[in-house]
Amino acid sequence: MKTEAISISLDLINRHYQEPNRNRYESKYFWEELYTLIAASGFSGIEIPYEPVWQFGGRSGVPMNRYCVNTKYESAAKYRAVLQASGIERVTGITFDPNLFMRNDNLGFFFGATGHFAGEALAHAADMGADYFAISPSPYYGRILQYHPDLEAQKQDFTQRTIELLNGLAAKAADLGVTLVLRHEYWSLFGGERILPLLDALPDTVKLDLDTANLFVAGISAADFLATHIGRIGCVHLTDTDFVDTGDVWKTPNPEFPSHRATQVFRDPGCGSVDLVGIAALLDRLKYQGPITCSARQTRDPFRALLRSRALLNQFQK
Amino acid sequence: MTNIGPNIRYANMSHWKSIPYKQIDNFREFYYEDKTNTAYYSDWDNILKYQSALGFDGIEIAPWDMADILPLFGSPENFTAFAKERGVEVIGMFHGAHASHAADHFDEAVRSGREAVDTIVRFGGTYMNTCPTQNYYGTGPLSREEVQQCAKVMNEIGRYATDHGVKIGLHNEFFCAINLPNHRELIESTDPRFVHYCIDTAQISIMGEDLLKFYDDYHERISTFHLKDTASSNQPDSVRYAQDPEITDDGTRWFWEPGQGNLDLKGLYRLLKQHEFKGWMSIEYDGSPDLLASMAMTRYYLDNELRPIYD
Repeated sequence: MKTEAISISLDLINRHYQEPNRNRYESKYFWEELYTLIAASGFSGIEIPYEPVWQFGGRSGVPMNRYCVNTKYESAAKYRAVLQASGIERVTGITFDPNLFMRNDNLGFFFGATGHFAGEALAHAADMGADYFAISPSPYYGRILQYHPDLEAQKQDFTQRTIELLNGLAAKAADLGVTLVLRHEYWSLFGGERILPLLDALPDTVKLDLDTANLFVAGISAADFLATHIGRIGCVHLTDTDFVDTGDVWKTPNPEFPSHRATQVFRDPGCGSVDLVGIAALLDRLKYQGPITCSARQTRDPFRALLRSRALLNQFQK
Repeated sequence: MTNIGPNIRYANMSHWKSIPYKQIDNFREFYYEDKTNTAYYSDWDNILKYQSALGFDGIEIAPWDMADILPLFGSPENFTAFAKERGVEVIGMFHGAHASHAADHFDEAVRSGREAVDTIVRFGGTYMNTCPTQNYYGTGPLSREEVQQCAKVMNEIGRYATDHGVKIGLHNEFFCAINLPNHRELIESTDPRFVHYCIDTAQISIMGEDLLKFYDDYHERISTFHLKDTASSNQPDSVRYAQDPEITDDGTRWFWEPGQGNLDLKGLYRLLKQHEFKGWMSIEYDGSPDLLASMAMTRYYLDNELRPIYD
């Protein structure tokens, strides 16, 4: 495998949860140094989680949306020039999840806000020259349930509205030359194999994002899933975990933090139980040529995670 | 055990980012997973105990905490009970009165303010510290009519809050559209029966008010404080009216723990004594890299420097 093409996701920075010295993550200087450190650890491509929240409250130092980029750099082109000068040659992908908008019992608000900001995020992906736009098609199942206790009864309607939203994005993505890929997080209404009927209802241009840890948590073999669906995979996330959800944690409001027994669900790549070396070999055997991204989501130490990721990639057969 | 003075009780303005757990029962196991101190900052059980141990037996929450607190606890009442079991009570919540200066936004601004009051009541709080409108950048300068409109909204929310046992306190940031030229105009345009003032000691000093003079002039209107220090008083228009100036690009901090900046906080305490201030005071650590260390540092300064002046 040519590991030099593998990107790292900026989700290795803990933007949302408390930890000592977290506040530095809100200042521009932190990110601008980070780009050089990412390059120093051998990555020349990054993935950016698109997060509208940073434009509310004046925290535009976090470069996670169009408003922030324009505020600090005037334009996407100038931001990309800063990345280039730091050793980051390309933004390979943009991710988006709608959890921010599941905050009340108004589905009109949820789909309206999600549609608006997902559209903006997709346009931003094009501005960044990204290959893919990876969207989580639903918020946390348990978060929906909190505001819509009758979710199971409403599932068909919710699914239909999701399909309409994604159809709109698919057309826009095709126009912009960006591949729309669907994520299958274990906590989603469309998690694991539940993503497949949703994908079937969308144009062939829409692909799957294979995320190894999310499959593992759901008790699904990433290798089997990959072999079965290789023709529909538009993006691969190399993620690691030790956690298997045997207690319906996926249905809780805060599913990445199992409330009954605290655990770090996502481990730094190479530090969990997912056979990522085996997955890399399988990708080669299946002649997969699409984008691959390492993600150290929930890492306790982003700089160690960068090097752990590199140490893992160094184990891949060249 | 810290003795809480009879006149001032101390709260912590919550600047914790999302706290993902209510309580961690498998603490050792969680710690051993990656052997970092993350476990120490991950649950409300311990966060509230830290506060309680350091003598901050009140907490002022923020609207942006709701999305995390409500799924974890199920209801405001459950959070309040959980905090109380650990010796902490919810004193109130911050509120931003977005676009209150805009006449066509009156109904929405009042509705949103009333909803925030209702939320505070459910938490058992009695303070709603309220930023009068949005940032100056993109909005200011406000016309006289817009300032009056803002006052009209504050009076309306204040009347509702008073009826529900909550005191709203205007809380001005240094970058707000209500700023040095119309700061006092707004206060004087509001009804003192319904609208009070929360002095954020650092924010108003950065904006250009003299802290001691401001408190002396308005002491009858003061409901509470956000106590913090600064070494950046009297910033020019170019800074205060800039886009998103609260978080600096280079990491420069506007706010410091009491005693770490250069405000005359001892002078303020002498005035508190003179005017016999009574009530809660929130300590605020926005911008601190280590909220727990800031709490401990502040407790030492309070006990050894400020409380001997007025307690």
